[in-house]
Amino acid sequence: MPDLPELAASFTVALRDAGIAAGPDRTRCFARAVTLLAPSTTRELRHCALTTLVSDREQIELFGAVFREVFGGPADRGARRGQPGDPPRSLPGTVPGADRKATADGDGREGDAQPREVALPLAASPLDHLATRDFAALSAEELARLAELMRTVALRTPTRPSRRRRPAPHGEQVDLRRTLAVSRRTGGYPLRLRRFVPRTRPRDLVVLCDISGSMEPYARAMLQLLYCASRAARAEVFTFATRLTRLTPVFRRAGPYDALERAGRAAPDWSGGTRIADCLAEFNERFGRRGMAHGAVVVIVSDGWDTGAPAALATHMARLARVAYRIVWVNPRTASPRYRPLVGGMAAALPYCDAVVSAHSFAALDDFTAALSAPGRRR
Amino acid sequence: MPDLDALVPDVPALRSRLDAVGYLADDALATALLLAVRMRQPILLEGEPGVGKTEAARALAAVLDTPLIRLQCYEGLSSAEALYEWNYPRQLLAIRLAESRGESLQDTDLFAEDYLLPRPLLAAISHPGPRPAVLLIDEVDRADDEFEAFLLELLADAAVTIPELGTRRATVPPVAVLTSNRTRDLHDALKRRCLYHWIDYPDTARVAAIIRKRVPESAGWLAARVAHGVAALRARQELTKPPGIAEAIDWAGALQALGLSVLDADAADRTLGAVLKYAEDLQTVRRAGLAELVDAETGTDA
Repeated sequence: MPDLPELAASFTVALRDAGIAAGPDRTRCFARAVTLLAPSTTRELRHCALTTLVSDREQIELFGAVFREVFGGPADRGARRGQPGDPPRSLPGTVPGADRKATADGDGREGDAQPREVALPLAASPLDHLATRDFAALSAEELARLAELMRTVALRTPTRPSRRRRPAPHGEQVDLRRTLAVSRRTGGYPLRLRRFVPRTRPRDLVVLCDISGSMEPYARAMLQLLYCASRAARAEVFTFATRLTRLTPVFRRAGPYDALERAGRAAPDWSGGTRIADCLAEFNERFGRRGMAHGAVVVIVSDGWDTGAPAALATHMARLARVAYRIVWVNPRTASPRYRPLVGGMAAALPYCDAVVSAHSFAALDDFTAALSAPGRRR
Repeated sequence: MPDLDALVPDVPALRSRLDAVGYLADDALATALLLAVRMRQPILLEGEPGVGKTEAARALAAVLDTPLIRLQCYEGLSSAEALYEWNYPRQLLAIRLAESRGESLQDTDLFAEDYLLPRPLLAAISHPGPRPAVLLIDEVDRADDEFEAFLLELLADAAVTIPELGTRRATVPPVAVLTSNRTRDLHDALKRRCLYHWIDYPDTARVAAIIRKRVPESAGWLAARVAHGVAALRARQELTKPPGIAEAIDWAGALQALGLSVLDADAADRTLGAVLKYAEDLQTVRRAGLAELVDAETGTDA
């Protein structure tokens, strides 16, 4: 029977192997909990460990598996743990689609590997050429150059009043704190009233990007833009095809060049079919209704090809529209003069959109940025 | 604190004490709360809306027989609202008064305890004891990053600094309970300092038990019917907001308030607003018929 420190340490090591970050402070915490409660059954021990070593709901299932492995049967525990050639657990999410994406991106990667001599994208003729090219027709190398360009695009959302405030000569409310502080200079007489107005801050930006097969060439370029945007502003980025994937944490950790590759790995449904309504429902349920979309500018990048029923899409769009400040729909296909929103999904969603833009090329991004910063309707 | 250890010696004792103040906790939650009290470490409670995160803190305060100090977080929450503010109008008056008497006032006279308006965090820190106050920092995911960083210092040291008065260290550090609805990810640094517990939605039998606890006048079978009805509603995939425990309690309370002693389709129709809070949900359920909610025998085929 190993003693407590060894037990706690070996269990946290097993957790770390499985991908649950548990530092030494957590180990100590776990050991303290065990000393305090002196659990007599495995169940009690499990509760102690659960409270002290886990810090997220997503970790609970994995934790359970590791716990069963370590404490499940005393007979096989030592045997399994001691094996030196124990292969590290492969991360979930290595799907065929991701591999394909990585190879398709190969040219771009090599271009990135060399020193960054791309320098400042001045308005030179090759770039003019690049600016009007349809995103769908770009090679991987051109895409990489476009990425440099996109870093110069500023995405601004309209402002909203915040609860913080700033001094202003003609504010509506008197700032007693400052008035009093200043009055000390005039012998305690508050000769001048100091005032303040509410500060403003940009509204949150939420982007839902369709990465199904029909959108793939555009989605790549749009994601690049969103990556640049998420660096500067408060932006939440999701991708969807058959399921919804939140990319914000991925973008936060990645550098400019591997962001897209990581995004591809995080979203296992690249180039799959589209279920817009279901993904929108999931977004509303898990994030939007709880506050992420409240008063935010929501951007949906999709061509509106939906395999589901249009009525369902309309329902979820209506729900989103009631919460969001503005909904901007980016549909590259609207660039064509012959385009009519007859596709079931697009037609159903149209009444709830405040703006529909194409954003199919770099030159067309102006419309997009203008649509983002336009003030909200009705409300 | 021997007093505290005697009050919550082990998990079963804490469970029965929580039970006595009307909160039914399972072993896992009781363990988590016990550890938060005994290890004096903040605990982060997460779970679907309406599973009793806030209620857990309230029950814990009742068990410890100490005040519950609640800070509701929101975007733009500033330290003046969370920590302390000076009572400026009173300070002004004091200055005027002193002048009319021909006295002179020092800074130290003005920035003294009398003119301090403690907000929740300072109130929790300066709680005199002997038992620690329960500090509930509700929906911490709504506050912004800066506030989270500010909390780190407070939670780690149980101390705050007021420039005019100096650092105040808690003599009895509060038991801190943080809740989050996961509208955004919390910072790792904050999570690392907290114990963690995910509160799951309980099974039907436990919901019935909770209803009996919270609405004591309702008969046992009615509580069971309500619990079953709520379970049937939760089983529907298409609802915008599946009812939580809070809604189940409200429903039983509504039936009770109307003096209804049976849960038939008519009674359900009249009280449905206590359970479902979205117009679409009400429509969906009414369209599908209320029979399945009230018939305890047939299963949920929705």
